[in-house]
Amino acid sequence: MKRIKTSEDLQKLHKHLVKNKEEKFISVSSGTCGQARGSQKIIDAFEKEAQGKIEIKVTGCHGFCEAEPNIIIYPQGIFYQHLKPEDVENIVEDTIILGRVIDKHLYKDPESGKPYTYQEDIPFYKVQKRNLLGNNPFIDPTIIDDYLAMYGYLSLDKALKLEPDEVIENIKNAGLRGRGGAGFPTGKKWEMARQQKADVKYVICNADEGDPGAYMDRSLLEGNPHSIIEGMIIGAYAIGAKEGWMYVRNEYPLAVKNISIAIEQARELGFLGENILGSGFNFDLKIARGSGAFVCGEETALIQSIEGKRGSPKQRPPYPVEKGLFGKPTNINNVETWANIPKIIDKGAGWFSKIGTKTSKGTKIFSLVGKVKNTGLVEVPMGMTLGEVIFDIGGGIPDEKEFKAVQTGGPSGGCIPKKLMDLPVDYESLTQAGSIMGSGGMIVMDENTCMVDIARYFLNFLQDESCGKCLSCRKGIQKMLEIVTDITNGKGKEEDLKTLEDLAYVVKDVSMCGLGQTAPNPVLGTLRYFRNEYLDHIKKKRCVAGVCKEIVSSPCQHTCPIDTEASVYISLIVKGRYEEALGVIKKDNPFASVLSRVCNHLCETRCRAGEGGEPIAIRNLKRFVTDYGLKKGIMLKAESGKKKRKEKVAIIGSGPSGLTCGFYLAQKGYGITVFEKLDVVGGMLSVAIPAYRLPRDILNADIEYIKSAGVDIHTNSALGKDFSLDDLFNEGYKAVFVATGAHKSLKLNIPGEDSRGILSSMHVLSSINLGKGVEIGKRVGVIGGGNSAVDAARAVLRIGQTEKVTIFYRRTIAEMPAFKEEVQTALDEGIVIEFLTSPKRIISEGGRLKACEFLRMRLGEVDESGRRKPLTVDGSEFTAELDTLIIAISEQADTSFVDEKSQLKLSRWGTIVVDEETLVTNRKGVFAGGDVVTGPNTVVDAVAAGKIVAESIEQFLTGKEIKREYNVTRPSVYIEPVELTEEEAAETKRPIMPSLSLQDRKSNFKEVEGGFNEEMAVNEARRCLRCDLETKDGQKFLEKLKQTSVVGQEV
Amino acid sequence: MPNITIDGIEFEAEEGWTVLEVARFLGLEIPTFCYNDGLSPWGGCRLCVVEIGEGENTKLVSSCTYPVQEGLKIRTASKKVVNARKVLIELLLASCPLSKTIQDLAAKLGVTRTRFKPDWEDCVYCGLCVRICDEQMGAKAIGFADRGGKLKITTPFDVKSDVCRTCGACMYICPACQLRCQGPEPPGVVCGGCYNSLQPTCTDYYDDYMCYEGLKGECGTCIREAPEDKSQQQTERKKK
Repeated sequence: MKRIKTSEDLQKLHKHLVKNKEEKFISVSSGTCGQARGSQKIIDAFEKEAQGKIEIKVTGCHGFCEAEPNIIIYPQGIFYQHLKPEDVENIVEDTIILGRVIDKHLYKDPESGKPYTYQEDIPFYKVQKRNLLGNNPFIDPTIIDDYLAMYGYLSLDKALKLEPDEVIENIKNAGLRGRGGAGFPTGKKWEMARQQKADVKYVICNADEGDPGAYMDRSLLEGNPHSIIEGMIIGAYAIGAKEGWMYVRNEYPLAVKNISIAIEQARELGFLGENILGSGFNFDLKIARGSGAFVCGEETALIQSIEGKRGSPKQRPPYPVEKGLFGKPTNINNVETWANIPKIIDKGAGWFSKIGTKTSKGTKIFSLVGKVKNTGLVEVPMGMTLGEVIFDIGGGIPDEKEFKAVQTGGPSGGCIPKKLMDLPVDYESLTQAGSIMGSGGMIVMDENTCMVDIARYFLNFLQDESCGKCLSCRKGIQKMLEIVTDITNGKGKEEDLKTLEDLAYVVKDVSMCGLGQTAPNPVLGTLRYFRNEYLDHIKKKRCVAGVCKEIVSSPCQHTCPIDTEASVYISLIVKGRYEEALGVIKKDNPFASVLSRVCNHLCETRCRAGEGGEPIAIRNLKRFVTDYGLKKGIMLKAESGKKKRKEKVAIIGSGPSGLTCGFYLAQKGYGITVFEKLDVVGGMLSVAIPAYRLPRDILNADIEYIKSAGVDIHTNSALGKDFSLDDLFNEGYKAVFVATGAHKSLKLNIPGEDSRGILSSMHVLSSINLGKGVEIGKRVGVIGGGNSAVDAARAVLRIGQTEKVTIFYRRTIAEMPAFKEEVQTALDEGIVIEFLTSPKRIISEGGRLKACEFLRMRLGEVDESGRRKPLTVDGSEFTAELDTLIIAISEQADTSFVDEKSQLKLSRWGTIVVDEETLVTNRKGVFAGGDVVTGPNTVVDAVAAGKIVAESIEQFLTGKEIKREYNVTRPSVYIEPVELTEEEAAETKRPIMPSLSLQDRKSNFKEVEGGFNEEMAVNEARRCLRCDLETKDGQKFLEKLKQTSVVGQEV
Repeated sequence: MPNITIDGIEFEAEEGWTVLEVARFLGLEIPTFCYNDGLSPWGGCRLCVVEIGEGENTKLVSSCTYPVQEGLKIRTASKKVVNARKVLIELLLASCPLSKTIQDLAAKLGVTRTRFKPDWEDCVYCGLCVRICDEQMGAKAIGFADRGGKLKITTPFDVKSDVCRTCGACMYICPACQLRCQGPEPPGVVCGGCYNSLQPTCTDYYDDYMCYEGLKGECGTCIREAPEDKSQQQTERKKK
């Protein structure tokens, strides 16, 4: 290549290249991440198929990592994602030659499925402002002509015509702040460097990007190295330096390669070396490679490293601008800072300072990674909110999980929780929230992330990377790590949090360099916003996310409110030991058969097999065992306590909470009487859940089992009407458990609600369940989105003359609280769901329902709960003609029996106030639990409350302190694991529950689901990953197994 | 001649002095650990930190390395500084509980126990040995190697040194191996935490006396329980 000697030569070359620019080409995203996803094979395939037909440009990262391997076809800008080498032939034929777009390669919106043909339309790209990264698709980093054809080195040309002071003024006015993390004003730093009087000065580019999860700089180095080189030449000119260094971490081989090629080519053309563009200015650039130390990203340690010394930070002052590399004034800037310089010189300070906020100007590149749908590199103007970045660009959280927090700034930053989603992304806001901007890493976390474990992860990383000089950093981080690790292992003590905080603040204040000063940030940040998670680990031995193995053991058992040992009964199913499995299930669960039908199976949401696959069908496997028990007549009766203790306990309400409590107390030998208001036993199980979901004989089997432990039930006895709490104590009951549930339906409070034909879901369901008649018309509307609404809809579909059932819900399907399987089955059965609708008023004729007027809703901004708030759309009224309208918006506890004499304290929602751990009320000897305390809730939570109250009552009656005891989760026994064959592991899938055909379901209440057969159950049970064997205790068991088997062999 | 204010005293310091040198000159006591008059300052133990600046913009810096500048405002014993020193000595105690130098320093700072698990290390990485070998003995035989949890002081590549003259300066100056716990001391000195050998805390938990002649054990009960706690616990144990 010929050397460019003057400015005029450069201008001429630029014009020539622009004129002859090839408009048609395929740009293949091939940064390191693209290559890891297989871009090289795509490139090879294109080079074979497209030879001579169209130019292939191998570029740096296009930024949309989720979509890679991807290409963009120019000049149209057609974006194809997730390509395989087999696809290339058709792409060349159809799109390149015939101009047809191939739908299957297009990006599609994950919710609506809408396809996007052009890159600029894809929401991921559209919301961004890609001033720096946007050029990557047009530039082959190994061909300097590509850069020259865009705008290459024209800014250098312009800058060399200005005085150095003018260049610095420009950068100062632009308001550019260091992009490495600290955000020091770049112009001011250059000015300070310029003012130093020295014979030699240096400029350095800090390309030691060490934060885990951050790769913005890599993408710029690999994809557009000349922009950085140009920036450095301009900077060197401004401050008066003749030599520059690029310190690139050795773990970026492609970046080192592309930078080296770029420097070579720049030198050849005369942009580096002597008399650059005839200006008389000399400058050259060297590369120094890092050797794998995170701390060498700190500027003083970096300088030590270039000097050949140990990378240990030095005290400042003196600052590098005064005394830096080899003792000379040195200006160090981050890669992204340098990359911004050419554009600022070209378009002017005003252009740059218009973008962003008052104190943080310009755009910033973030690496959006973690639990987010669209992972990749995003470039946004400063001031955009976190919520916009994560939800509008990132597309939100995948797998329908809930957003929990976002970690910004890498190991030096903190976690920002849900409630701060409208925080603008700029230096000051993030620091105030307890985090930092840092280099731009943004790690998104969902509900399955344990924040204590995150603190542990970063401390572990920093412990290895500390240079070790400062006692506070070296020892302080180690001790913080020890404490946090103990907490994650269930060995935390209450004093630990204070010790941790005291230590963290001292490490922050006292350490000499940025690594030590920011090391406590992950701990302090998580303590600030997620302190209750730490307390849960310490006091309650709970890890809500199911991550900390030594506390959790199997996430299924840990998450279960009643501590059912799912891993044990599942491994017993594998061995064919069904009766033992039944024993394991029933010891923690007196409503085993009922829950095997209706439980909301939190265990399955945490099942590790469900990460990237299907969770184990834990509930259905339980049903297999309980059905087996019923068929073979095993354990139909429980061991009775035989009333061997003298005390008797009264229980109000025969729902799952009351009966569970009664069961356990009866087994302990107490005399139990359950007082039930209605004339049927079972609470909501009897009156609300329809028989096609919970057959009556299944419910009765569990009730008989419970009664056989020694529980007497008196029906038609209502507290407050037939007797009072005082009466019970006077009759000799020593303790009372109030478990009356929440059965009173809420009203909509819209005009016309009292018209005939409007019913509550409770009324409808109980009438159907108890065999009483209820008038349901042909066209039925149901208002609500919970299980009650779906139950009512599916139930009325099966009776009388109902022809059409429509559910009206005010949000979208993603937010419906009803079980997902129920919603899907409802849709399968022909029920229509109108989303984003809200009832406005009833239109009645002669006091009878004729129609209901609705308003349409739209989803607004993400609010504090992390969900989009539904807002009414004005003027969107529409009417639906209905014969029956069922209101299923929720129930509340009916505590009208609580009067002055009962002395019980009520909350403002009418629920009974209790101590949240022990469930004692304010009245001695009276306990409360279940829906009457929590409001409408799940069956398993009611059963859990019953178990807790049984413990509390026993402690009360034996004169002990009423206190909850917490332990880490462990199975009561370890079962030998099975080895799956490779084929099995690859091919076994979760079985689909056999169900009645739609035809067979019509007009009857037969149970819809049929249950697994033995083969399905055993195969599914074999899929269990046996998380219980991963704790230290589990490992010990496996060790022992190995030893005994070896011994066995020897014999 | 920079004018500075230190603990309210206005002083015209010599150019090139450190804050620690000014404090020593004026008789203000600042504790140090890795500092030695005859060697260059290192700034690693952080015990000599002082608070500089005023109002919202203050920070803690190691006085042994910080050069005086015109207008510098220094407080040698602010609340933040005193609290930091206490936590730092707790870290040192946990590192090397048997070092008498550390124990005495802890006693001076009013710290009688540490909340952290003891590591029973032989080295606290103060770097005194490295500096004396380099600056006073001129041998430069040892230095820091690796980083983080793997940090160690050793010869280059752990190879037997050609330049080491076995002069023993490194051992002489080492605060960790200098003076070891000599046995029971009267209360007020940290070592009194194990009371006296007739009533050691370790035998409450173990069958044998754990700490005899510096034997390492995972006990650490003597330095983790303050004498007051210990006597209260003993009375409680007697109750049951």
